[in-house]
Amino acid sequence: MTVLITRPKHDLITRYLCVWSEEILAIARAHYITVYDLEGEKANRKNLESYIKNRPPSFVFLNGHGNAEVVTGHDNEPLVDINSRLPEVIVYARSCDAGQVLGSALIKNGTQAFIGYRRKFICGYTPEKMWKPLEDPIARLFLVPSNLIVSTLLKGHSVQDAHARSKEEMYKNFKKMISSKATYEERYSARWLWSNLNNQVLLGEGGAKI
Amino acid sequence: MNETRENFEELIVDPSLKEQLKKLVLERINVMPNTLRVAVGSEELTKEDMLRHVREEDETGKQLMEAELSFLRDLASGAVYVSA
Repeated sequence: MTVLITRPKHDLITRYLCVWSEEILAIARAHYITVYDLEGEKANRKNLESYIKNRPPSFVFLNGHGNAEVVTGHDNEPLVDINSRLPEVIVYARSCDAGQVLGSALIKNGTQAFIGYRRKFICGYTPEKMWKPLEDPIARLFLVPSNLIVSTLLKGHSVQDAHARSKEEMYKNFKKMISSKATYEERYSARWLWSNLNNQVLLGEGGAKI
Repeated sequence: MNETRENFEELIVDPSLKEQLKKLVLERINVMPNTLRVAVGSEELTKEDMLRHVREEDETGKQLMEAELSFLRDLASGAVYVSA
């Protein structure tokens, strides 16, 4: 079992995604899973295509910006587009809009299963914590459920399980955020988490495992 | 959410309703705490940025409106209290 992860860090949101992905690397190492970690400048198309061709992973975890047809890497270089071939692979794109077109295109091109978002991935954050993303109590509410997709897959569960557990965790956080115990910031952020919850999609074979 | 988007697209066809909804969303953004920011895709937004996007009705503004209106709709219908 091998995992390829792209985690550019050229701006604030990619830095958040990059740092929060370290938890995933730790879980993978604990399970003796080989990880090809394309961090920062390494998150470029040449590296990605080289790994796909020469050491094909069973799971690709893409972090970065994008649109309905593209997910990008370092400095917004397009990494995966509708013509990309990631055969027999499970893909999770923590990126914007990729669930609209790109996911279906990848499935058509041989990808086994795809999880992504039909609209922009929204993440609330606390400006005071922008240099310590792991200590950001608002971002945590968005990124822990997102990481759960990957950790569930790494533990041998199906894509359908990963998708469902992530949505359950989002809903659990959402309920906490709209409760009377929530801070004002948590309550205000709830609408954005609700958007992610309703826009996360699974395409392809739900029973697939890495 | 596709359903929400379709409903939203239908609603904004009516100019007067669209303006009312836009005002509602702007008012709700106005009460956002200053201790909070949001990343919508590649954009890092303050309250003022959000207000501008909604006023200009660009793609980010439209998504902010969608998120707000679907949240309000689902609060009102009770859908937020039904497990995901």
